[in-house]
Amino acid sequence: MAILLFFLFAALAVGSVLGMIISRNQAYSALFLVLAFACLGGLYGLLGAPFMAVVQIIIYAGAIMVLFIFVIMMINLGEGISPEKKKWTIAAAVFMGLILLAEIVFAIKGAPAVPMIGQEMAGTSPIEIGRLLFTKYLYPFEITSILIIAALVGAVVLVKKRDGE
Amino acid sequence: MNSFGATVPLLLIVGGALLVFLLEAFLKKENKNYLAYVSLFALIGCGILSAKAWNAGRSYFDGMLRLDNPALFLTFLFLIAVAFVILIGMKYISMQDANHGEFYGLLLLALSGLMIMVSSTNLIVIFLGLEVLSVSSYALAGLKRKDDKSSESAIKYFLMGSFASAFLVFGMAILFGTAQTLDISGLIAFFKTGPDNQVLSLVGFGLVLVGLAFKIAIVPFHMWAPDVYEGAPTPVTAFFSVGPKAAGFAVLIRLLAPYWNAGFGSAKLFAFLWALAALTTLVGSLIALRQKNIKRMLAYSSIANGGYMLIAVLAGDGTALLFFLTTYVFMSIGAFGSLIALTGNGREYNELEDFAGIGFKYPWIGAIFAVFLLSLAGFPPTGGFLAKFYVFVGAVRQGLTSLVLIAVLASLISVYYYLRIVVYMYMREPEREVSIELENPALYLVLFLSLYGVLQLGIFPGNVLYLIKQAVSALF
Repeated sequence: MAILLFFLFAALAVGSVLGMIISRNQAYSALFLVLAFACLGGLYGLLGAPFMAVVQIIIYAGAIMVLFIFVIMMINLGEGISPEKKKWTIAAAVFMGLILLAEIVFAIKGAPAVPMIGQEMAGTSPIEIGRLLFTKYLYPFEITSILIIAALVGAVVLVKKRDGE
Repeated sequence: MNSFGATVPLLLIVGGALLVFLLEAFLKKENKNYLAYVSLFALIGCGILSAKAWNAGRSYFDGMLRLDNPALFLTFLFLIAVAFVILIGMKYISMQDANHGEFYGLLLLALSGLMIMVSSTNLIVIFLGLEVLSVSSYALAGLKRKDDKSSESAIKYFLMGSFASAFLVFGMAILFGTAQTLDISGLIAFFKTGPDNQVLSLVGFGLVLVGLAFKIAIVPFHMWAPDVYEGAPTPVTAFFSVGPKAAGFAVLIRLLAPYWNAGFGSAKLFAFLWALAALTTLVGSLIALRQKNIKRMLAYSSIANGGYMLIAVLAGDGTALLFFLTTYVFMSIGAFGSLIALTGNGREYNELEDFAGIGFKYPWIGAIFAVFLLSLAGFPPTGGFLAKFYVFVGAVRQGLTSLVLIAVLASLISVYYYLRIVVYMYMREPEREVSIELENPALYLVLFLSLYGVLQLGIFPGNVLYLIKQAVSALF
C-alpha cells in the first residue's frame, strides 16, 4: 500500500512540476507548484515525518503559494524574456541543473539499501515536537511571539494611511 | 540561580511596548508625548530591576536566559541609549512629520531584542533576539513615510538584513548538524575536540560570522549602512549606530574570545577577521573623507569605529571592548543629538555648508558638537581618547602590533574629517540661511548628559572601569 502511494505521489509530483515548467500562464504554473508541494508533503508523510508533511502543506502549499498567486495576479507579467537575456537564463539553468544532478548522484550513492518507506523515525512526531516547544524551547517560542508582534506593528506602520489622505 | 525574576526586566520592556501600542490608539494627537513618558517609566523600572540583579547571576528557562554581569552591564548601556534616543526624538518626530506613537513602541521592542541577544549563550535565542531587533529597526527606518529617502532606507535595510539573517540561519543549521548543539560553550568544546566534519563545521561557523558582520557593518559587508543611516530619521540613526552594534559585538566576543585558543581552525578565522578589521578601519575612514553630508560621514565614522571594536574582539579584550562601547554610546548619541539640535520645522541641516559659522551663531550647540567630534577623533581629555587607547594597548599586548599600526593610521586620517566640521563651524562665514527650533529642553538634557558622560569617561574612568572589570570576570 505504502509503495503504491509512494509511486502515486512521486508520479504526480514529477508530472505537476513538468506542468509548471511547460505551461505559459503564470497562474497555472503557480497552481501546478501548489500540487507539487502537496505531493512532496505526502512523500514526507510516507517517510515517517508527519510533522514535516503537515508543515510542508500548511506553509508551502498554503501560505507561501497564496502569496505567490497574489503577486502574480497583482503585477500581471505579460511579456516574455528578451532573446539576449534568454541565452543567459539558459546558461544559468544548465549550470544549476548540472549541480542538482551531481547532488542527486551523491544522494543516491549515500542512500541506505533498505527503503525507509513506512518506518517511523524517532523524535519526529508532532506530539514530541509540541512537548519540546513548550518545555525545553519555551523561551525561543515566546520570543517568536514578540517577533511576530514587531513584524505586524512594523508592517502597519509602514503602510498606514498618511495623515490627510 | 534559577529564578523567574530573571525574566522580569524583559517582561517589563515588552509590556511597556504593548501598553504604548494600546495607548496610541486612544490618545489624541496633541498628547502623544505621554507615550514617551510611559516608555521612560518602563526603562527606569527595568534599570532598577537590572541593578538589583547585579552579581546575583540569575537565570531561567534552563539557562537559556542568563542575566550574568556582562549582560546586565550591556542592558544598562542599552537602557541609557534608548532613553536618550526617546528624549532627542520627542520634538523631532513631530517636527519632521513622523509623529507616530509607534516610534516609542518599536524602540522598546528593539530594546527587548537587544536584551535578549546579550543575555543568552544559545545561538537560537541570539538569532531570535536579533530578528526582533531587526524587524523593529526596518519599520523605524521608514518612519518618515512622505520622505523617499526614508522609504529607500527601510527597503534597503530590510533586504540586506533578511539576506544577512539567511546567512546566519544557514550557518547555524550547518553548525547544529555537525556539533549537535547551539550553545556557545558546547560549540567551543566541540571545536576543541577536533570535530569529524572539520570543513563543514568551519563553513557553518564562517557563515554565522558573515551574518553577524553584516549586521554590525564590517567592511566588506557595510554597503547598506551609509544609505540606511542617511535616510532614517536622525534619532533612529543614533539608535542604529549604537544599539545593534553593541549587541553584535557582545555576541561576537562571547563566541570568539574562548574560541581563539580552542585549536581547530581558529588560526584561519583569526587571519580572516584580522584582514576585515584592518579593512574596516581604513575603508571607513577613507570614504568618510569624501562625504559632504554630515549624517553620511557619521555613518562611515560608525563603520570605522566598528573596526576598532573588532580589534578588541580579536585581542579577546572584553574590558577594552565594553569601555569602547560605553564611550561610543555617549559620543555617538551626542553627535547625532547635536545634528538634531540643528533642525528647523520640517527642515534638516545635514550638509557641510550648513555648518559654516554655526559656532558663533549658536555658541552652545557648536561648542558641544565640537567636543563630541573631538571625542570621536580621539583627543584627550575626552572618553574617545581613552577608549581607543585601551583597545590599542590590549591589542599590542596580544601581539597585534601591525594591526594597531594600521588602526592608528586610520584614526589619524579620521582626525581630518572630524576637524573639518569644527573648522567649518568656527572659521567660515555663513553662506546659507539656517533657522532652527531652539525650544527643546529634552534634547538639551541629553546633550548635557552625553557631554558629562564623555568627559567623565575621559577624566575619571575609574568607577565605570571597576564595573566593567566585574562584568568581564564573569564573561569567560
